[in-house]
Amino acid sequence: MDGWTGQILRVNLTNRTHRAETFTEEFATTWIGGRGFAVKILYDELAPGIDPLGPDNKLVVAVGPISGVPAPNTGKTIVAAKSPATGGYGDGNLGTRVTDQLRKAGYDALIVEGRAERPTMLVIQDDDVSFESAEEVWGKGTIATNEWIYSRFDKGAGVLNIGPAGEHMVNYAVIRSFEGRSGGRPGMGAVMGSKLLKAIVVKGTKPIPQAFPAKMKELGRDDLREVHQIDKEAAWSQQGTTGVLPWCNEVAALPVHNFRGTSHPDAWQVDGERVNAARVATYGCPNCTMRCGIAVLDDEGRESELDYEPVGLLGPNLDLYNLPEVASLNYLCDDYGLDTISAGAVLGFYADAIEHGATEGAPLFGDVAAFKKLLGMIAHREGEIGNLLANGVLRAARAFGHGSEDYAMHVKGLEISAYNCKFIPGMALAFGVSPIGAHHKESWIITYEVNQTPRESYGRDKAQKIVDLQRIRGGLFESIITCRFPWVEIGWGVEHYPVYFNTVTGKDWKLEDFWPISDRIYALIKLFWLREYPQTDRLADYPPAVWFDPANADTEGPIAGRILERDKYDSLLQHYYDIRGYDTRGVPTRATLESLGLHEEASAAEAYATIR
Amino acid sequence: MKVTVKLVGGLVHTVGFSQKELDVEPGTTVDDILASIAIDRARPMIIARNGHGAQPDEEVLEGDRILVSPIFSGG
Repeated sequence: MDGWTGQILRVNLTNRTHRAETFTEEFATTWIGGRGFAVKILYDELAPGIDPLGPDNKLVVAVGPISGVPAPNTGKTIVAAKSPATGGYGDGNLGTRVTDQLRKAGYDALIVEGRAERPTMLVIQDDDVSFESAEEVWGKGTIATNEWIYSRFDKGAGVLNIGPAGEHMVNYAVIRSFEGRSGGRPGMGAVMGSKLLKAIVVKGTKPIPQAFPAKMKELGRDDLREVHQIDKEAAWSQQGTTGVLPWCNEVAALPVHNFRGTSHPDAWQVDGERVNAARVATYGCPNCTMRCGIAVLDDEGRESELDYEPVGLLGPNLDLYNLPEVASLNYLCDDYGLDTISAGAVLGFYADAIEHGATEGAPLFGDVAAFKKLLGMIAHREGEIGNLLANGVLRAARAFGHGSEDYAMHVKGLEISAYNCKFIPGMALAFGVSPIGAHHKESWIITYEVNQTPRESYGRDKAQKIVDLQRIRGGLFESIITCRFPWVEIGWGVEHYPVYFNTVTGKDWKLEDFWPISDRIYALIKLFWLREYPQTDRLADYPPAVWFDPANADTEGPIAGRILERDKYDSLLQHYYDIRGYDTRGVPTRATLESLGLHEEASAAEAYATIR
Repeated sequence: MKVTVKLVGGLVHTVGFSQKELDVEPGTTVDDILASIAIDRARPMIIARNGHGAQPDEEVLEGDRILVSPIFSGG
């Protein structure tokens, strides 16, 4: 089966057993890999209602047909499980050498089951699997843990690890790799921690199965060079993702003061120019020629790798405009293994709740020392407040009450990333219908919306654009799997990706052949959520109430007096459902499920909920 | 009349400045401004005028702030 190894490695930490399982070509072409494999495995194997932090949850590490093949930018891996943050399907991608090493070891996916008795490092070396003690580094940060691992393995090994946040099962603990930052915002690191799994190390020596390896090598080499050249000419990686901050600030889309503000005159102090000027090192994922990991020194002289999301949420969102201070919060998140986006949203929410009297405490906004201390308390679930904030803004708001739910910035329990949509209807919808909770990776329509449409429009075109982007970003890229940045940031044509896919698989697929598969993946994710929340309704796809609150409107600037309008948002949401073939609850209809070949999956869901 | 041009992301490095005040004639369009600062218009760009999305053929006015950015499609 060219393009796939045809094997999945299943590891049980409770019994310390493992076995390689084969899959069919039909499975491969129905789900492709990455997120497609992950959701199919989790849907089939997880009983609804299980504790996401119990031994019944499973962690899936999955790659795809072009993963690890030298081509732009194929170093990404999917990590997925039932999310402790949302209770629904959760996943994330991260750059890591695990991507190519897992394939070279002979697997397209790894399923981790059960719970170890003691802190464990899972080591996969081709057909050999061992369970080594990680007690020596249990409690250590991800940086020290990574160093400890690489003192035992050569630099070619692929490594995933967690920090104290994962060990203490913080709902937004991530999995870390040192070749591409972090992945798994919806608590994938907490799932690892719940299994006492400190790290995964993968080494492989086998060739990656490809239909035309020589052709792929030449094509990949040429395209990597071309991407590098385009990036060089466009100078995108000079600032990487941090370059977008001034645009967000200019068009009133920056999260400021727990998303209450949309721009700030001091934002330039933490923008891409300042990040680039402060650069001390540059990092990138495997198979990447447009490296965007810009490291600066924090206020304690430590290297901290920045991109836009952490700067936005740990900076302006907390009223912090000193780059080394922002970098220090980012460093702590990375070392603790906390998601920087959720951490920034949680700290901002807590500061806002104090300011609005929902809970007691000293004023926090702008107090970097207090925020540093809080991050440590959260990562270790220390004290009542550390423990509460470790659960994320949704649960913290439920505990605080006093209307704080309205400004807890999340959708479905996952905190909103760094785009303030108080008057950007389409992007608000993109957060609302993201299949893992509020995250920008699925459908980032904000520049399209602000520049090419009337911002105040709630037209069907915006819903269609979201679906189009979800198909490319959340479906195609997350299943084959590859980094979206060459396409989204420097305009590398999406038509290149079927060429890579066909060259490694020997197939003759067109771009449009991937869309039904993308739709199938999204529909199955919806069924996963439906089984967990049988009483779900369209309100689950709404953004926070504060974005509809006239009292929250900007008083000056380009969107002064403007907010989202609830009835219009609801009609925009309905457009999305109509295009997707979902019912008024946001659940795929029977006809939609059958058209996507999900007959058995629909029947499985009907044991728990109604399919219309 | 005076307008301010603010460049974003890679354009700061390819064009060579971050922000500049320009003296332009009435009737000047956004596209005229892009031409005057030698931006490679073959590359797709997004433009904001006073915080609102703007089109190349729009005429600028005294005191306008024109932000020009590469076509980010997302983080």
